[in-house]
Amino acid sequence: MTLKSKFKEAPGFQFVADSLELMSSAGKRRLLTQPWLNDAQALNREYDRIEEAILFLNDADATASINGVRHQLMQMHDIAGTLQSLHSHILLNEIELFEIKLFAKLYATAFRFLGEHNRQSLLATSEADLCAIADQAFSILDPDNTGMAHFYIYDSYDPRLAPLRKELKACNNEDADLFSQQEAIEREVILRLSDRLLPLALSLSEALNQMAELDLLLAKATLAKQWNLCRPQLCEAREGLSFLELSNPRLRHHNETLGLRYQPVDIDLHQGVCFITGANMAGKTVLLKTIGVAQLMAQFGMFVPARKARINLVDDVVLCIGDEQNEMKGLSSFASEIIKISNTLQRAHNEHLLVLIDEPARTTNPIEGKAIVQSLATILESKSSFSLITTHYSQLALPCRRLRVKGFVESMSSEPLTPQNINLFMDYSLLPDTTDDVPQEALRIASILDCDKEMLDTARNFL
Amino acid sequence: MPFVNDILRYRSLSIVGLEKNTGKTVCHNYVLRRLHELKVPVAVTSIGIDGEQTDAVFANAKPEIILYEGMTFITSEKHYLQRRLLSELVEVDSYRTALGQLVTARVLSQGKVLLSGAATTEKLRQQIEHFKATGMPLTIVDGALSRLSLASPTVSDCMVLATGAAVSPNIQQLISRTRFVYRLINLPEVSPALQNTLSFISNGLWGIDDDGQPHDLGIASVFLLGRNQGEDIFRYGNTLFASGAVSDRLLKYLASQKNIKDITLIVRDFTKLFITLEVYAEFSKRGGELLVLQRSRLIAITLNPTSPTGYRLNSAEACAQLSDALQTPVYDVMSI
Repeated sequence: MTLKSKFKEAPGFQFVADSLELMSSAGKRRLLTQPWLNDAQALNREYDRIEEAILFLNDADATASINGVRHQLMQMHDIAGTLQSLHSHILLNEIELFEIKLFAKLYATAFRFLGEHNRQSLLATSEADLCAIADQAFSILDPDNTGMAHFYIYDSYDPRLAPLRKELKACNNEDADLFSQQEAIEREVILRLSDRLLPLALSLSEALNQMAELDLLLAKATLAKQWNLCRPQLCEAREGLSFLELSNPRLRHHNETLGLRYQPVDIDLHQGVCFITGANMAGKTVLLKTIGVAQLMAQFGMFVPARKARINLVDDVVLCIGDEQNEMKGLSSFASEIIKISNTLQRAHNEHLLVLIDEPARTTNPIEGKAIVQSLATILESKSSFSLITTHYSQLALPCRRLRVKGFVESMSSEPLTPQNINLFMDYSLLPDTTDDVPQEALRIASILDCDKEMLDTARNFL
Repeated sequence: MPFVNDILRYRSLSIVGLEKNTGKTVCHNYVLRRLHELKVPVAVTSIGIDGEQTDAVFANAKPEIILYEGMTFITSEKHYLQRRLLSELVEVDSYRTALGQLVTARVLSQGKVLLSGAATTEKLRQQIEHFKATGMPLTIVDGALSRLSLASPTVSDCMVLATGAAVSPNIQQLISRTRFVYRLINLPEVSPALQNTLSFISNGLWGIDDDGQPHDLGIASVFLLGRNQGEDIFRYGNTLFASGAVSDRLLKYLASQKNIKDITLIVRDFTKLFITLEVYAEFSKRGGELLVLQRSRLIAITLNPTSPTGYRLNSAEACAQLSDALQTPVYDVMSI
């Protein structure tokens, strides 16, 4: 499971990935192939590195070095293919040699910038002295010691080149015979250069990966600073998971851009099932998506959008929002949903999951629908997974934990209530719910939204 | 040394041909040779593929671009490796074309090269900006085939137009077609105030009121004009601004209006006009006026008297007639 595979499943997670300011294509490749981390030690090591990167970025004396490192990353090409060719004895051309030379210079320069503030460890994650390797590669490709990252087959590579080129210059490079003699010598030179570079190929590949890692690391640290993300604390399954002031990055960004209020929420989950109830527009679906995004961020080695977070490592996040009707496959919304739920239950037998299901069985009749929810919750309650299920069904008669979104509170704002500012009157915080009833506020919300009066009155008569 | 000194007043030059085989490359080589003699540092880039060794359509031998020591050029990976000159790689762009990445190199000893460049004018514009920013006095853009888009004043500061027997072996027709493009290139500009207002508009057809304020007419495509009856496109005034491409269809539609004598149509620049001589003539004859936001600076017109099919015009006569018709100097590209 890689990060890219989660974009389609988890709405809002791609926004997080897109917000990472990566400088290089190698960094982007590294991001998209970032594996799911399920090992506390590996994750903590990654979080430690982010913390160190934040310290570096916050160091006012290091601004020039930080910009220097970023500048190297920006100029870097993803030369993985070229290094692979070198390693596989495929004859390189001048352009590929240029790219190796440029890369070697960028690596060594980035290393030295970091070294000015004793932060080489952000780049050099192995014992090997790759900076010395990069210097060696550069000097092989810079026989005249120009120090510049320009390249051609220099005269000094072969004593026959200078006199030949003098002759060629005299005829404006138009003598085909002399020109092909030159090409033959250039080929010999390239062969010799490849032989000299070959022993460095694997180390240079490692250096490329390190640069890609550094790019991603700096992007993660920058995002953590920008969004005030927090380092999640990893804990045991029985301790559950909890977020203090959890917020949804995409929605928060959207609201802040429009100058709207955004309210973070606190939530904790234990093993088994927790139901969320609440009026329409109370943010239940957003809550599920937000928890999903936070868990994904944590296990892809990022800090999370909360003031404080305790995370429990899971094998996967399953998000079932139910808006994935698939007409093309001939499936109705109910069919797509029930198949996904069924697959999730199968997986929950032997996997430790974070299951987030939005209003299951809402698109079928309420009698069978309720029975499906009861069955689903009963099965998940017995598993080690964490399950969070939103519902409008009442009287479920199950021993599961229940939370309710506070919802519509008229006294929250002094502004006149309109369909556009209804958000100002919503309290999104969660309360433990002891009753088995759900809030019945659908008609009230509909009337605030200026819905057809006749429809509302008629509906009230039917109640 | 015709027109080369005029070029030096600008930072970028595009060389465009009215047709294939109008001697664009010969003209380019002339300009490069002169600039080399004047010791002006130059960067050379192109759009699409150019400098093919043989012409893909007629299979005739084509002259190659000759570059001199100290010049900087951009071409694709593939054509860089086939170059017949000595040069030093300066930069490789990760932007990919059908012929590989684009590379920038500096010539160490004179020779020939095939130029191939970015596929879009936007990328071309970035390259020109980059060269400007790094202090390059002049960037020359070589156009592929008969693409005119690079001569847009939003891309290059000035242009040279190449025409010739390839356009038509009939000298009257050659004059008529060249004069038409010449007129479009020299369409008058709108007032600086209106230029400023309209330059921020990126799409749609707009009506301009008497105070010079633009109003979106809500017409997604000029192809829909005339379909929705009752929609008065002159409700804000008789001056319209078309922010995108303009075809015969719009001109014909306007020419058929009762108020055609008062109609002014503004287009971004001449490269947005995809119109025929006949329709334009009808539009102007009936009193319509065509203006541009930005005019291209035409430095010179060159003429190639030989057509790819082997036909040869009388050079002196053709240049004189064309020059007379356009009231501007025309140079035989083979003898400058």
